[in-house]
Amino acid sequence: MEFYAINGKKRPIRLSEETRRFAYESLNRKYGLETLSHRAVDLDDVEGYENLSMLEKYDVAIQTIVREAPLRICQGERLSGAATLGAAIRHGVPARYQGETICSSVSHLTVDFETVLKKGMLHIRKTAERSLEKHRGTDREPFVQSCLKCLDAFDIWHGRYLDALRDRPEYRANYQNLKNVPHKPASNFYEAVQSLWFTFAFIRLCGNWPGIGRIDYLLGDYLKKDLADGRLTLDEAREILAHFFIKGCEWINGKYIDSGDAQHYQNILLCGVDENGNEVTNEVTYLVLDILEELGISDFPTSVRLNRNTDEGVLHRVADVMRYGGGILAVYNEELVIEALVRDGYPLSEARKFANDGCWEVQIPGKTFFEYYPFDGLQILQKALQSETTDWENIDFEALYRSFIADLREWCSENILKKRIAKFATKNPSEEWKWNPQTPCSVVSLFEQGCVEKGLSYFEGGPVYNLFSPHIGGLADIANSLYAIQKLVYEEKKVTLPRLLEILQSNWEGEEILRQYALHRYSYYGNDNDEVDLLVKRILNDFSEICASFNQRCGYHFIAGVSTFGRQLEWAPHRTATPYGKRAEEILAANCSPTPGTDTQGATAIIRSYCKPELVRLASGAALDIRLLPSSVEGEDGLQALVGLMRGFVTLGGFFMQPDVADAKILRDAQERPEEYQTLSVRVSGWNARFVTLNKEWQEMVIAQNEHST
Amino acid sequence: MSIQRKNTIKVTEIQRFCMHDGPGIRTTVFFKGCPLRCAWCHNPETQRVESELLFDPKRCIGCGTCLDVCHNGAHGGKVTHEIIRSRCQGCGACTDVCPTGALELCGKEMTPAEILCEVEKDLAFYGASGGITLSGGEPFLQGEGAISLLQLCKERGISTAVETCGCFDASLLAQAVPLTDLFLWDLKDTDSDRHTHCTGVSNKHILKNLALADSLGARIRLRCILVNGVNTDPEHYRQIALIAASLAHLDGVELIPYHAYGGSKATLLGLADNGRKEWIPTDGQMAQAKETLRGHGISVI
Repeated sequence: MEFYAINGKKRPIRLSEETRRFAYESLNRKYGLETLSHRAVDLDDVEGYENLSMLEKYDVAIQTIVREAPLRICQGERLSGAATLGAAIRHGVPARYQGETICSSVSHLTVDFETVLKKGMLHIRKTAERSLEKHRGTDREPFVQSCLKCLDAFDIWHGRYLDALRDRPEYRANYQNLKNVPHKPASNFYEAVQSLWFTFAFIRLCGNWPGIGRIDYLLGDYLKKDLADGRLTLDEAREILAHFFIKGCEWINGKYIDSGDAQHYQNILLCGVDENGNEVTNEVTYLVLDILEELGISDFPTSVRLNRNTDEGVLHRVADVMRYGGGILAVYNEELVIEALVRDGYPLSEARKFANDGCWEVQIPGKTFFEYYPFDGLQILQKALQSETTDWENIDFEALYRSFIADLREWCSENILKKRIAKFATKNPSEEWKWNPQTPCSVVSLFEQGCVEKGLSYFEGGPVYNLFSPHIGGLADIANSLYAIQKLVYEEKKVTLPRLLEILQSNWEGEEILRQYALHRYSYYGNDNDEVDLLVKRILNDFSEICASFNQRCGYHFIAGVSTFGRQLEWAPHRTATPYGKRAEEILAANCSPTPGTDTQGATAIIRSYCKPELVRLASGAALDIRLLPSSVEGEDGLQALVGLMRGFVTLGGFFMQPDVADAKILRDAQERPEEYQTLSVRVSGWNARFVTLNKEWQEMVIAQNEHST
Repeated sequence: MSIQRKNTIKVTEIQRFCMHDGPGIRTTVFFKGCPLRCAWCHNPETQRVESELLFDPKRCIGCGTCLDVCHNGAHGGKVTHEIIRSRCQGCGACTDVCPTGALELCGKEMTPAEILCEVEKDLAFYGASGGITLSGGEPFLQGEGAISLLQLCKERGISTAVETCGCFDASLLAQAVPLTDLFLWDLKDTDSDRHTHCTGVSNKHILKNLALADSLGARIRLRCILVNGVNTDPEHYRQIALIAASLAHLDGVELIPYHAYGGSKATLLGLADNGRKEWIPTDGQMAQAKETLRGHGISVI
């Protein structure tokens, strides 16, 4: 029973054999395949289904799901509840009518687990009942009624588990806990973990993908009290919490391979300050790190909120766990994130509560509607450069830049404001925005503050904060393109602009010398070169201003972000050649990272470049990917280096960084396409060398060592 | 041949984010020029003090741009690009125009202040442990420059390490020791004859410098390369242990197995690949060396 580690190190063993076996089976798809065997409940027999409103259809679906979904009680499990319907894995409400899933579900949000833990589901029911009184007879009543029906559904499903566990002595603890939670406030750590899990499982059972949020903040006080009272040991607490992570693997099935089968946005955050500015880090933080270290579960993508005062011990633990690979831990610089949120208008105490949307875009959990709109900024620039109305002979760089920004503004306004937003709301003749009827989402609305009270669903402006986030992609490629034009055309006068544009149209055909010159003679984004890095800064400032100028259109708050999330693959066929020497259709930069192959100075230079723009103006965030080899971060020196990278990232004002310790497969790829992996460092022997600078034999040996470690 | 500017250091490369040239994240400055000529040298481009042309045929697209700018006729070849090294003056005209970077001038004069500028870029990452490492080549072959650079770094609170072959003017040590937080001191062979045979220089002076550095309070990490069939004998291991034990401020001993890498840089200089697989020590030899050292109570890093 080995849990995979990229660095070949033996993972420590702290958990019981039984728990480890449970983890091993879950990770090896046992429950995921079982989940796939029951895709959805059937609504074909529901009388008069066709005549129901969409909301009523949804209510019937939820009612049917909680009655008919198979219960799952795994051997030895310490927590009960399971999301057992396969259609949920594909982001749908798992109920079918005439073979079709009835509607899509909700993701990109972290719901309000704090209220469930501290006040219980009964509190939410009371809120809903009060809201019903307030909205009776209005057009909001059906939604509030729907919320109450979902609460009934929750009780039905909860009741089925109680019935199933009642006469099984081996699950007595589960039964006792479920008798109290989630409807009542949790009174101890075990109950709190069960409450959290059961609520999470219910939301997922109904098809949704919520994030978890700040688990150490949510559970820390319960554990502290139990430890002080002597009713629980740390080892027992670790076992209980491990079951939370293991049960979260119940959708792993290996069947859906595109962006991976372990991605359901169930993100977790650790560490950082609470609303009063006190550090949250507690025993739960360390238990989570222990569990990740031992089991290597990457299904709850976990991020650590760092600040300048983050304890050295925490940093070391984080670095140590990172070294097992898999990109298992990412980091936020919470000082910058909080500042960004305060600048964006949040009160400080609110900003300090930030979690993320289940991906890395930051939001205040349980209070936020979040929608993002990714687009390829490079194609906008490339289109601008094909304009037939521009006087390319006489345009100067400044005018060129400004015309790109004007096009960017125009594009965002047309596609985001006019087309996309119109789906959500329309302006009536009295100039008031009105929400359009939306996909029903009453289940998640229960757990988003504002929805039940206002009688408005998650999609209809119910939450306290409603964010719409345009995400620009291809940022590095835009900056590199502009920089190459600046150098080639305006400074060195190697080529005229009209000629360069012709060359790009013909995909550098017959211009290999100039292409090589553009590609190799300049230092692009990611190499700590101020000239190009400040271009990135300028573009981002202009982009965030464009987003801010859209504010309060239909009640959304617009925040800028930078991402590609792998879209650089699908954008590639639509991209023409770039002025910095890349040919048409090449796969270019990811997220806020450098264009592959253009960064030659190593991780510290990449982080320096990334930190130069005013990231504080990006309230949605910008992610930096850093790839490291296991051998680069081994030993005490390697650990110190990882800690140093994280410290520097915070000091220099980064936003979000995902270091990945890479495996042999990546090395093999690096061998095939060395130009894409120039900054991968490798421990050669007594020193470091960049992998691609090693000769073939050495590369083979390092790869062999890496393969051996699997 | 151009004359080196005053108060400059000739470097081959400044490499950021180095993680095994001393503790933490380090910026390593490679000095050009070395008094030793180790048969197994991994960085042959740092041996000569003079600037040299590196040529990577894999990157050359045969565009001929270099032919047009070279006044000495150093570029030729009918089918493939060849460098006529005897004609090259290291002027750098061709490297300035080469579009692909296939031609590179190895050896750049930089003032200590210019180097400091590069090193300071990563201040945020060094923390308490990381910093600068002077390497090469032999940093103390350009002693005055090395001392000024160390001095500047110390003034800026940057932790300093020097990787040295130990063969340099002993009078530098009085100044160097207080400015160097850690010496990474190469001990290539304890057998004097073999040392002379394999590196071209006797180890007597090196060992004398080592003792002097220690007496001045230097913190020293000994780095010992093991080359199969050359110095993989138990007596050598024992001698390393004895020398290590004699040092009052030993940081530990690092045993470095010879590897065949380095060839690629040699070929860029137009030299034959000096990599030899039979020199790679066996796991057993490495273990034996380690055991011997540990047996003498020496910490092996």
